[in-house]
Amino acid sequence: MPEAIATFDKVSYMYPRSTALVLRDISLEIRKGEFLGLIGPSGAGKTTLCLAFNGIVPQFYGGRFFGAVNVAGLDTLEHPISTLARYVGIVLENPETQITATSVENEIAFALENLKVPRDEILARIPRVLEAVRLEGMEHRHPQELSGGQKQRLAIAAMLAVRPSLLVLDEPTSQLDPVGAHEVFRTVQELNRELGVTIVMASHAAEELAEYADRLVLLNAGQIVDEGPPAKLYTQVELMQQLHLRPPGVTRTFHYLRKAGFSIPELPVTLNQGIAAIKPLATACHRQASEGQLAPAPRDGRPLVSVTHLTHTYDDGTQALRDISLDIHRGEYVLITGQNGAGKSTLVRHFLRLLLPTDGEVRIDGVPTRDLSISALARRVGYVAQNPDNQIFNTTVEQEIAFALRYLDMATGEIRSRTERSMAAMGLQDVRDRHPLSLPRGERARVVIAAILALEPEVVIFDEPTTGQDYQGARAILRLTKQLHNAGKTVIVITHHLYLMAEYAERVIVMGKGTLLRDAPIRVVFHETDVLASTYLTPPQAVQLAQALTEATGIPLLCLTPQEVAGALVCDTTGRSL
Amino acid sequence: MLDNQPTGEERTVTYVGGATIDGAPIAYIVVLSAVCTALAFIPFSVIVALGGSFPLSQAIFPLVGWILGPIAGAIASGVGALVGVFVAPHTAGIPAVRVIGAVVASFVAGSMRHGTRRSWWWFPITVTGVICLALFGGRAMVQNGVSLWAVVAGAFIDWSALLLFALPTRALVSKWISSPNPGLMATGLGLGTWIAAGMAHLVKGMITYFMYNWPEDVWVTLIPIIPVENLLRVAVGITIGTGVITGLRAIGLVKPREAVY
Repeated sequence: MPEAIATFDKVSYMYPRSTALVLRDISLEIRKGEFLGLIGPSGAGKTTLCLAFNGIVPQFYGGRFFGAVNVAGLDTLEHPISTLARYVGIVLENPETQITATSVENEIAFALENLKVPRDEILARIPRVLEAVRLEGMEHRHPQELSGGQKQRLAIAAMLAVRPSLLVLDEPTSQLDPVGAHEVFRTVQELNRELGVTIVMASHAAEELAEYADRLVLLNAGQIVDEGPPAKLYTQVELMQQLHLRPPGVTRTFHYLRKAGFSIPELPVTLNQGIAAIKPLATACHRQASEGQLAPAPRDGRPLVSVTHLTHTYDDGTQALRDISLDIHRGEYVLITGQNGAGKSTLVRHFLRLLLPTDGEVRIDGVPTRDLSISALARRVGYVAQNPDNQIFNTTVEQEIAFALRYLDMATGEIRSRTERSMAAMGLQDVRDRHPLSLPRGERARVVIAAILALEPEVVIFDEPTTGQDYQGARAILRLTKQLHNAGKTVIVITHHLYLMAEYAERVIVMGKGTLLRDAPIRVVFHETDVLASTYLTPPQAVQLAQALTEATGIPLLCLTPQEVAGALVCDTTGRSL
Repeated sequence: MLDNQPTGEERTVTYVGGATIDGAPIAYIVVLSAVCTALAFIPFSVIVALGGSFPLSQAIFPLVGWILGPIAGAIASGVGALVGVFVAPHTAGIPAVRVIGAVVASFVAGSMRHGTRRSWWWFPITVTGVICLALFGGRAMVQNGVSLWAVVAGAFIDWSALLLFALPTRALVSKWISSPNPGLMATGLGLGTWIAAGMAHLVKGMITYFMYNWPEDVWVTLIPIIPVENLLRVAVGITIGTGVITGLRAIGLVKPREAVY
């Protein structure tokens, strides 16, 4: 067995001004060349554990620390962070927070310069690490010109240049689109397999960790609940659900099948395992599990949002939208999806007149947006931006929610009553006096949503609302979108997390490179894998399993969720063991 | 004692070999220097005697002292002001004086402490202030024949700041700023900004007076203007300070050793 590169011995930790331990009695050994995944719900202590590898916890934060962490033979409390940084590279969730230079090569050189590496050596290392993360030829590009995935790979390259023995990544893909996430996982896997770099990655990306990690550690409330290969942890579906974690879609599907009486000796955790295991079950499948809508619902009356031949070209000449035409009616729940740069946000910004068409027209309730003011539109169309922090600028939750109302010539009583209603709807009464930035990200998003709801808009647009959220947080936000929809609001959600949307959206608009690729009911679009692939999207694993079944049986199964796939198989075979 | 005591042995936590100045991480100093430089672009009042304008950054130099402490705060403000005179020459005035004023304001603010090992710092600062005031006022009256009432009225913010600094009010400032009560915190920021900006004005005034020797007419003209300018610094200091300190407390960022908040 390879020797240990890092060991945690009875480690417990408490942040300053806190009374609770955020890590408790952690004993863990990370072996050289291993790819270790850290999983657990929000607040489990994953980030704190990551920061303990290079002494940031507790040296920078202070607090109370018990036990010992040794990395490459160095006690992290007895050596400066700068020394530990030679052995441990850390890549954070948001690459923007760790990129400081004005060019790709300067970014890589920065840490090396601080470690007094000779200039010639720095110049020699830059092309090597850029090649390792596939950013060759971008040496002189400004980091801001890079895509999200490229920025994250630049952050990894900057860490690699220091030649660490251990690379720690804290949710490196949570803010990336599928292409970016795939790029990062592929890079990390290559570093692990080909260069032997030890990897520790905290992530909610269950499908990817199941594919790439050698071992998982499950944390909850600061303690290790279990550890072992992905096949051991992800197959404990009930435990995962109890901790608000999401096992891979394929595992959940077979879990439901097992519950339905099928004999499934081992739950698969990767898609390939799942497809291989589901085909023998195909004989049990003989009906179309597509009770949902397959044709667009007929709509009467004037559309609430009407887009006609919309083209938008930015000042720098980039054509972001090309000849888009669509109608959105009152009470619809629409998912807009597509790769980064597909034009999704550009499209919805026209609904708020934050952008004006270069060509074509956008009408809100029959009135061209050109004839409406932004403030008038803001009352009818609410926009929840991707990063809630960008919409927060008051010092208490209550002030934040009431902020816009004060500028609408509204009576004080009405402002108070709307603020209270919004706070209640979002469950924020208990934190009304807290600073919004002191709340967890999920609650910060709810503050922004509450502020939007207080305006009582007809349409609410959520721009990537699940980015950076854990499964529980993402589901909570989506449940809220459903509540709004049920209350009669028109809801538009932009996301590329398709696996989350099956239970919510009715209609899907797929965009790619500024054009409208498809506009149809979700059950149709999710099964048009070629259309999705053309804009770098992957359907949920349940859809892929259903397609494998369709291929095996010839019966079209337009399932969207693990439950539906399991339902299609057990419809007439409950109790039958295959 | 914790419930369910951890099994590991408790260790002493120290910042080993970290990059700090007087207990303030270098990163904080760099960030606040940059903020001072950015605010140097915004003018908030014209300089009647010399032309040009005062930078809005004058209003946050005391705040920088309360956040980083007297030494790191003075460095941050000094560096920020120094960069500011180059990138924002329209508010540079006399560049060296601008930098000295920034350093003094943050240093004085950071020194408004009580019950610390640096509690005695108030004494040499007060003595220095008295000397500056004596040289400033004395030269005006003895050499340039400015009347006593004009000096007293014209130097109102200087002597009032000096007096408030010498009295226990300086300790009250730090106590109020550290209060969880937002009203008290704002009051502390306001009073403290008046004192620290006034002390900085005193040192700058002394230097520039020795350079320009303004006659009584200038003194009289400035009598109503100078306090209003200092009140503006106070207003901006309260506005920015309450937001910044509330935010810093809320996000729980590691606190510099000499921070007051």
